[in-house]
Amino acid sequence: MSKKVLVVDDDPDVRSFVVTVLEENQYIPLIAQDGVEGLEKIEKEKPDLVILDVLMPRGSGIRLYHHLKTHDQFKALPIIMFTGIALRSFLKSQKVLDEFQGAEVPKPDIYLEKPVDPEVLAAAVRKKLG
Amino acid sequence: MMSAFKILIVDDEELIVRLLSMSLRSDGYQTVSAFSGEQGLEVFKAESPDIVVTDIKMPGMDGLELLKKIKEIDPEKEVIIVTGHGDIDSTITALQYGASDFINKPVRDAALAIALERAKSKIAIRKTLEEYTTNLEIKIAEATEEIRRKSNFQRLLITSSHDAIVAFDRDWKVVVYNPEAARIFGEAAKDVRNKMTIDDLYTPKIAKVFKNQVKDEKDQRNFPWKEQVIHTKDGRQIPVRYASNVLFENNEFVGTVNFFQDLTEIKRLEKELVQSERLAAVGQTVSGLAHYVKNILIGLKGGSYIVDVGIQKNNMEKLRSGWETIKKNIKRISDLTQDLLTYSKQREPEMETCSPHDIINELMELLKGFAASKNIIFSKNLDKSIGQITADPKTIHHALLNIINNAMDACIEDEDITKKHEVKILTHIDKNHMICFEVEDNGCGMDEDTRKKLFTPMFSSKGGKGTGLGLLVTGKLIEEHKGVIEIETSPGVGSTFRIKLPYTKVKSVDGN
Ligand SMILES: Nc1ncnc2c1ncn2[C@@H]1O[C@H](COP(=O)(O)OP(=O)(O)O)[C@@H](O)[C@H]1O
Ligand SMILES: [Mg+2]
Repeated sequence: MSKKVLVVDDDPDVRSFVVTVLEENQYIPLIAQDGVEGLEKIEKEKPDLVILDVLMPRGSGIRLYHHLKTHDQFKALPIIMFTGIALRSFLKSQKVLDEFQGAEVPKPDIYLEKPVDPEVLAAAVRKKLG
Repeated sequence: MMSAFKILIVDDEELIVRLLSMSLRSDGYQTVSAFSGEQGLEVFKAESPDIVVTDIKMPGMDGLELLKKIKEIDPEKEVIIVTGHGDIDSTITALQYGASDFINKPVRDAALAIALERAKSKIAIRKTLEEYTTNLEIKIAEATEEIRRKSNFQRLLITSSHDAIVAFDRDWKVVVYNPEAARIFGEAAKDVRNKMTIDDLYTPKIAKVFKNQVKDEKDQRNFPWKEQVIHTKDGRQIPVRYASNVLFENNEFVGTVNFFQDLTEIKRLEKELVQSERLAAVGQTVSGLAHYVKNILIGLKGGSYIVDVGIQKNNMEKLRSGWETIKKNIKRISDLTQDLLTYSKQREPEMETCSPHDIINELMELLKGFAASKNIIFSKNLDKSIGQITADPKTIHHALLNIINNAMDACIEDEDITKKHEVKILTHIDKNHMICFEVEDNGCGMDEDTRKKLFTPMFSSKGGKGTGLGLLVTGKLIEEHKGVIEIETSPGVGSTFRIKLPYTKVKSVDGN
């Protein structure tokens, strides 16, 4: 059975790109425009993987990531960070958030910096989902 | 205050000199003394005291003679004369020679203290006036000084001055009008000197400034340089810096002298400077754009991948969506290029007859789809009386587009998702006869820090999604259009951006 992958990104260009890559690789794409909608979709649709943008208005990717990694029911959900900012800046802001919320979360398993070739993205998804 | 005024005391009676010295010293003054007019003059030259107190009756060179000599050396020096009873004639002579004050013999401490205080405050006023003075104003002081002396030098100085010099007598008739003045005002000297009055030569606004100056308190009479654009009778506009001195002779108003400097060249250089600073700013912060350009690249790459898939699979829908993405990003890069060009180039507005409300309606048509997709309510409230105006429609379009886009971004960025987000566009004519365009949003608003950086090149809080050029370009376009932008904002509540442009209504030609 095909697996469901949720793309959370506020940029429609990025969404349609990722959606196309997923379709081409026989996954079922789901989309969300921001962190809030992302969490709703995760609860409702139970995707097998989340591709998450870091910088979004309202409930940024960093916050959603934090939420997922600090709530037991989501801890096992694999996440690919997919973003325009460098890993270094991401880790720094994550650290700030960790300190702020008093919980330390693991680093993301896969961190892809845009732009990404469709093959690289597909390979990352395959690595997580088989 | 200045420390320790130096006072020269001259009297042939040694005892008086000593007594006065003693009491003045205890009041904190520094004193030097002399026992005759001749000696007084020597000491004056050697010690250059601030104030001189001299007895009038002395053998040899008397007080009057000493006063005259001192005034020849330094006409500004404060000289207090000590007179005996019945010295009326010499008192009058002393007045004519420029004595500052008189005290009667025998000298009482209180009377002397008052006279000294008066002299001191005169000196202080002079000092503060001097503080204003730049080199040029020293020249002015010299010029006024020379005018008083009516020497040849005066004429030379006036005619060869790089400043325009115009002087009026007490009836406001022009008595001095130098070649530079003729150049600036465009009226020949023969038609002006002794013929025109201040109202013939100047526009009412400037004439009023100079006339009022005479009525002002003595110590406020001389104002620092002011700037103004003067409209000459032959229709030229010349930016000038001007200053003015009111002339008194024996405490009587005798006229005023005005100085003008043509700033045309300076203004041109200033403009060039601004221009090159602008270019430098673009250069320095261009790296800030890298993010934005990268985002465009991501869009283009993604779009072309989708197009490829569409071609391979013969999938029209993919083709269309990929192509849309590509087109959108091509537009982003061409807008960016356009903004950079607009920002770095000096541009004169292209004025034409246009309808601001048509522009607003077009923009709303263009943006309403996007607004709806983000749940933003778009509304307008336009002043019907505005009609057609003379303006650059491109400036209005571009400025409003940028500001409305920012307003919508502010709604999207807003953390408070319970708000009903709204962007309102209003127009009206204000009391200063400016046309006002107002864009009001109830989005995220700005904190003090963001507010300050708004017009900094490439400042954007939107990461790779903003260029930070929008307001910069808008600000420049509005400035070139002789307009202003006002901003009110409050974090979490929203912002209002108000553009004001000069309102030049075009009369509608109806009927025919
Ligand atoms: N209406 C507004 N409400 C809140 N912030 C605003 C508004 N308009 C402008 N700003 C702030 O000013 C910044 C600069 O705006 P701009 O020069 O248009 O660049 P950009 O939109 O590309 O970021 C924005 O990033 C934003 O932080
Ligand atoms: Mg903008």
